[in-house]
Amino acid sequence: MSAATLPRNTTRQSEGLLHGDIARWLHRVSGTVIVVFVLVHVIAQAVLHVPALASVKAGAPWLPAVQSQHWIHAALYFSIVFHTLYGLKLLLSELGMRVDYRISLWAIVAISALFGLREVLRYAGV
Amino acid sequence: MSTVASITVTAEIQRFDPSQDAEPRFESFEVSGLANMSVLDVVRSIYENQAGDLAFQFACRVGRCGTCAVRVNGRPVLACQERCKAQMRIEPLKPFPALRDLVVDRTEIESRLASFELAPLRNNAHPGQPELIAPDLAAKLCHMDSCLLCMVCVSACPAVEERPFDGPAFMLKLRHMAEHPADRRDRLDQALQGGMLECFNCDVCTQVCPADLSPAQAIRDFRRELFFGRGKEA
Repeated sequence: MSAATLPRNTTRQSEGLLHGDIARWLHRVSGTVIVVFVLVHVIAQAVLHVPALASVKAGAPWLPAVQSQHWIHAALYFSIVFHTLYGLKLLLSELGMRVDYRISLWAIVAISALFGLREVLRYAGV
Repeated sequence: MSTVASITVTAEIQRFDPSQDAEPRFESFEVSGLANMSVLDVVRSIYENQAGDLAFQFACRVGRCGTCAVRVNGRPVLACQERCKAQMRIEPLKPFPALRDLVVDRTEIESRLASFELAPLRNNAHPGQPELIAPDLAAKLCHMDSCLLCMVCVSACPAVEERPFDGPAFMLKLRHMAEHPADRRDRLDQALQGGMLECFNCDVCTQVCPADLSPAQAIRDFRRELFFGRGKEA
């Protein structure tokens, strides 16, 4: 518990990042990426394996290939890890765990980026 | 002896006079001075030298009253504490209605605070002498009481913009009362009615608070109380 403090002396709040805004938007975007990928994956699998959809496969030959692009997999893994970890952080903080919003955001971004990078390297054969 | 560099600030200030203007407009001013000027210094210079009809508010000039809160380049700040920039767009705090130029109407804020009845509601009469209080709790209450009610957090809060949520400052004030050992009012219920569950838990309010308080933590404490029950005797 810190003692009562005077307001900050000279702020520069109109510059720099608002960590909460970054976290909130990343959480939303990563959730959207996951949902969109699942939809594309289901459609692509249907196009590949359902004979009745063969005409779609002929009309959109790029569709099955979309799900095996290295950058899409990297974005997907980043999104899954970020969305999961940030969701857990929100849950834990609401249950009483004290989590610093700056450290936790950058730690989660770093861990998620590692998973994304791993996909890129996997495709590169490293 | 160190010298402070000089700067020429271009400030676009939102002007609005309800008796003349249908819509707010922006007027550009140039101010030269020391690079360590505050935003308030710039606004006062404009008022004194270029636009005598510019409406703005300030009182303490040391970040204790919260009166001079404005938005600079879209970010809510205390004008007396914020360092000026070469290019600034200065606007009144949102989402409050502007009375004129940089002055906002605080009627709704004051009536909301009055409706919360932010004084301890006691079960029994005051004993007539100071009551014992744990030092840690006293320090915590004192810290929470340093909220300036400047509404910087409310202006920055994305949940206020998107959802039916009163705002972080009100939740902090309610939490202050909830922590008070003499208060017996159901502050959790008041917080719920104020939209406490709409908060994104993003801590933007914590980052922008000029008094280094954490309204987000106050909301988390309320939510924990909602899940696990009260921490203090009912």
